[in-house]
Amino acid sequence: MSPEQIMLIPKIENGFVLDHIPTGSGVKVLALIRGHAELDGVVVSVGLHYTSRRLGRKDLIKIQSRELPQSFLQHLSLVVPGVTIKRVENFSIAQKIVLEPPELVDNLLRCPNPGCITNHERGVTTCFHLVRRDPMKFRCNHCERWFALDELENRLKLR
Amino acid sequence: MKRDLISIEDLSERHLRDYLELGRQVEVMSPESCRQVLAGRILGVLFYEPSTRTRLSFEAAMLRMGGQVIGFSEVLNTSVAKGESLADTIHTVERYCDAIVIRHPREGAARLAAEVSRLPVINAGDGANQHPTQTLLDLYTLQNLFGRVDGLRVALVGDLKYSRTVHSLFHALARFKDVKFRFVSPETLKMPEYVIEATEESAAEIIEMSSLEEALAISDVVYMTRIQRERFPDPLEYEKVKDAYRLDRAALQHAPSHLKIMHPLPRVNEIATDVDSTQHAAYFPQAGYGMVMRQGILAHLLGGKL
Repeated sequence: MSPEQIMLIPKIENGFVLDHIPTGSGVKVLALIRGHAELDGVVVSVGLHYTSRRLGRKDLIKIQSRELPQSFLQHLSLVVPGVTIKRVENFSIAQKIVLEPPELVDNLLRCPNPGCITNHERGVTTCFHLVRRDPMKFRCNHCERWFALDELENRLKLR
Repeated sequence: MKRDLISIEDLSERHLRDYLELGRQVEVMSPESCRQVLAGRILGVLFYEPSTRTRLSFEAAMLRMGGQVIGFSEVLNTSVAKGESLADTIHTVERYCDAIVIRHPREGAARLAAEVSRLPVINAGDGANQHPTQTLLDLYTLQNLFGRVDGLRVALVGDLKYSRTVHSLFHALARFKDVKFRFVSPETLKMPEYVIEATEESAAEIIEMSSLEEALAISDVVYMTRIQRERFPDPLEYEKVKDAYRLDRAALQHAPSHLKIMHPLPRVNEIATDVDSTQHAAYFPQAGYGMVMRQGILAHLLGGKL
């Protein structure tokens, strides 16, 4: 990032930077943060439409929390697969990972198939398995249908 | 650990061959010996939607193995009609019996029943998803007709787009060695790409064609399905294709003598009744093999000794 961009979004002492978010998806990530009660009240800074060598334009989000809940990370990997997560400690990057899609999504999604029993029975937990990586496809453990990411994006189980 | 039979997708080639062997074992047993296998056991048969063949053949299979049957064949007049959840029905019925057979209009219902029950659960059809005992009986029929499943040339004919029977059979057959497929359908009812790509194994050969006559000449078995009028958005389109996949005795005149015709039944007019008395007709024996296969399945899942 160039110096003037750093001025736009403040450095954080401790927390996480979600980087390389395709431009336009930053808003989706914000909605995701709001959908997870564990992240209530944490300080979040948002940067949209930054110049990026890799993506052309990108969004960037900083979350000042000690932990990121597993369910949030799994949702995040479905909404913005390939996002980079940097853990910041004392103003410097302590760890950096590229978020891979989960092999198994346990009770974090509602099935897009209206005929699936999980949409009709009370209190059922859903389960999806990653069955293909390119293009990414998940299979509902109950109705056995395969779904692409764009079909699952608006089926996240949020609060 | 309890055993369930929910989906063909759960079964490896080895599992499939083991099931075929179970059918063979049942067939060589005397009726008296059969009646000992599940004596004193009770099968709960929960049919949330109507079915004739599947329900009757499960019930006959259980009776022939010496067991008894309880259940319902429609939800009217049951607690289900009062709004009881599937899980609650299963939790209740499992107190009365030793295994559960379930048919349900919702996809995934049998999987859910198996998750909540401590008993073996058999899927007898869950919406548009799976009907694994149909697939096993189809394989068992092939095994009996030809002495093998490997290397067969199988024509799947008719509605390849929506037929769950055809999708499951294709996935199961693709696990055997060197099975060659002919997909015969109108353009509007072609085998969907997602069904083909969902096979882990690559099929030895897939030929897509629209002519049934051509398929007859290069196949060992023709698996017919019903083309349903309601699948067509345009009734004219239905009129065009409905007779293209109609088999009668005349159409079979030049067919190879060993060619067999299968059909999951019920048929409407896709196979003329004059085919019934030909050497090619295998669909009624197929229904009979269905009961034998289910006898084997019940014995296996209930831990009966064959």
